[in-house]
Amino acid sequence: MNATLRPIGVLKTYIDNKAEVTVEAGQTVRACLLRLGMPPEIVALVLVNDAQQPKDYVLQDGDMVKLIAVIGGG
Amino acid sequence: MRLYANSTRCSGCKACLVACSLNLFQENNPKKAALSVIPHFPAPGVYELKVCTQCGDCAAVCPTGAIKQNERGAYYVDYTECNLCEACVPECPESVMFVRTELANSAWKCDLCGDCVSVCGTDALWIAN
Amino acid sequence: MLNGYGGNILRVNLSTGKIIKQPTPPELARDFIGGRGFGAYFLFMEVPRHTDPLSPENKLIISSGPLSGLMIPGAGKCDFTTKSPLTNGYASSSLGGHFTAEIKYAGLDSIILEGTSPKPVYLFIDNEKIELRDASHLWGKGTIAVEKELKEKLGEEFQIAVIGPGGENGVSFASINHDFGRQAGRGGVGTVMGVKKVKAIAIHGTKSIPVADPEGYRKAGMTLFKACKDAEGLKPWQSYGTTIVVSWCDEVGALPTRNFSAGSFEGGKNLYGPVMREQIVITDKGCFGCPSPCGKYSRMKRYNSNVEGPEYETIGMLGSNLGLSDIQDVAQANLLCDDLGIDTISAGSVIGWAMECYEKGIFTKKDTDGLELKFGNTQAVFALTEKIAKRQGLGALLAEGVKKAAKKVGQGSDKFAIQVKGMEQSAYATHNATAMLLAYMTCDVGAHHNRAWAITYDLQVGRDKVVPEKVARVIWLQNFRPMFDVLGACRLQWVELSIDRDLYVPALAAITGIHRTWQDLETVGERIWNLTRLYWSRENEGFGRTWDQPSPRFYEEPPKTGVTAGQITRYEDVQRLLDMYYEQRGWTSNGMPTPETVNRLGLATFAA
Repeated sequence: MNATLRPIGVLKTYIDNKAEVTVEAGQTVRACLLRLGMPPEIVALVLVNDAQQPKDYVLQDGDMVKLIAVIGGG
Repeated sequence: MRLYANSTRCSGCKACLVACSLNLFQENNPKKAALSVIPHFPAPGVYELKVCTQCGDCAAVCPTGAIKQNERGAYYVDYTECNLCEACVPECPESVMFVRTELANSAWKCDLCGDCVSVCGTDALWIAN
Repeated sequence: MLNGYGGNILRVNLSTGKIIKQPTPPELARDFIGGRGFGAYFLFMEVPRHTDPLSPENKLIISSGPLSGLMIPGAGKCDFTTKSPLTNGYASSSLGGHFTAEIKYAGLDSIILEGTSPKPVYLFIDNEKIELRDASHLWGKGTIAVEKELKEKLGEEFQIAVIGPGGENGVSFASINHDFGRQAGRGGVGTVMGVKKVKAIAIHGTKSIPVADPEGYRKAGMTLFKACKDAEGLKPWQSYGTTIVVSWCDEVGALPTRNFSAGSFEGGKNLYGPVMREQIVITDKGCFGCPSPCGKYSRMKRYNSNVEGPEYETIGMLGSNLGLSDIQDVAQANLLCDDLGIDTISAGSVIGWAMECYEKGIFTKKDTDGLELKFGNTQAVFALTEKIAKRQGLGALLAEGVKKAAKKVGQGSDKFAIQVKGMEQSAYATHNATAMLLAYMTCDVGAHHNRAWAITYDLQVGRDKVVPEKVARVIWLQNFRPMFDVLGACRLQWVELSIDRDLYVPALAAITGIHRTWQDLETVGERIWNLTRLYWSRENEGFGRTWDQPSPRFYEEPPKTGVTAGQITRYEDVQRLLDMYYEQRGWTSNGMPTPETVNRLGLATFAA
């Protein structure tokens, strides 16, 4: 049971600059990020199948997860 | 080949107009562009794009033959042969045949250079058959 | 011919009706470049010391920049500079949309409004035809209706900047509105336009902007557009605009909640970007030349109304800061502020302060004209917004700004007036985010975020760390980011899409014919920063360290709820941050540029 993680932009550095990575379903997004060494706090937005979800969302089989970084603001 | 526009994607930025005037006149003057960005605000709150469909109706009616076809197969105005009779203006179904004598000594229209597509960030413009 | 420029400074004396045009001095363009740079120069040089901001001697300086109106991403920013009626210091507010481009097409770089008109007027500019026209039929009307009326009467090609009843009535934080949803919002720039009785500026130009190297400019411009279009973050940014950070701010405790008493909001989820997009957004609306439109034009079915927004700041200040959790309500409050012509950020702050006064019993229903001024009361927010714009009842007090209002009311209410230098703090709660706190303390117009947005740096380095790197980062951002306001283009393509800022260098060189690196530009930025610091000092007796202090809320009152519950910055750390900041800036321990710094930056003649 797998989901696909697609970090956008600078976040790709946490997955060796690959476009996407396959992760285990059944864990929260937050746990998944921590496993990858990505601090959850630098992720601005989590889009699961194009809908925003909190970082406590539990990944389901087949989910496509886009991660958008807080690059700047203001 | 012709230019296509999806108005629902237009954000009204007018970068296309500056790119166009640069191509047609080597000037930074969006009022001398060959497509139209029409804002409808405060209601309904959308932008409307009008582009040349290369229908050729302007060329058909031009008495001096000033409207010719270029290497892209697009109709364009040869400025040296336009006599400003304005016969072409009402013929254009998209109202993108332009005559503004305070701005130029000739009619002008889209020549399908594609620069507007290059600067459109919302994919509101594209060129296809 | 000044390549990249409109070419002329327009001076409009409203007292005498005299209008003159002077060629833009090449030295001014060389040393101060444009936009905010011109504003700072003219303010310092031409508005006499200790001028009353509401008097005829104050000036409103409206400036485009060398990138404005050209084929450059985001080439749509216009600077409005004046002496602030809100803070008595330097005010500079940035307006998006299409106004700045039209200034260039009309052959102008700056429009300087001087004096005061005896009657309401609007400034009409159509290429060479420039006149003051009677605006008595427009006075009293909302900004949306007036822009619509003027466009219908004069032509769609005219670009309109207009004040609302807020500016007419002298609300200290009145805004200037344009393009049905963009503002020069902060610092009371609309107040100055209103006291001068200028209801609107209608401008139209059909000239071309000259550039030094047309081929080089075209190539550099196309490269910039390609970089934006290739940016990976483009699509999410286009979808959500600044609302992209609402959820994140809520998660990290930066979302101002109930007058900054906390940094996360239990009702916040209903205000997040994707929720807003689904519920109300109908069009992505952009400024001139922008490939990444952040504007979200919205339809509020409940109120049968439309608004451009709300964007992040307004969601924070009129939403979570007031305990409102319905995005349609926040959007409607946004519209009221825009139409009435008052800054949403300052309005949200004074209303939040008033709600806390009511909560604490400092205000009763007698003071609030019967309004139940509780956090979360949408109708009270709408009603109070109108009262502020009309300066009626409690609105008259709030219209003075939160610092003056708290001073009048006393009873300890100044402790929760969230402001620096008299400007209400914008929408980042800084209970435990020392870089961002420092940014607010030292911002050159008062507590505004747009010079140095440093919150992510706080998270990267450690929230409560008080280290020189944080200070250096804030200083670098302050020297760098406002340079976009000098150039007349938007910084958000660099900020949000991470495009390489060096792509601007060949564009600027090809346009102006003067080659400048970002190091050169940051030196100009540093010079302007120090000039405006000298301006504050010249205008305000005793200006210095005490003016850089933050609201005590951020070192005395840890939030009781939310993500940052129990966290607070220590007072000693606040002072240490300032010490490091002054040292790194080359200022005295009281926060004034030293003679060495003044000389190094070529400001000796200004400081004399």
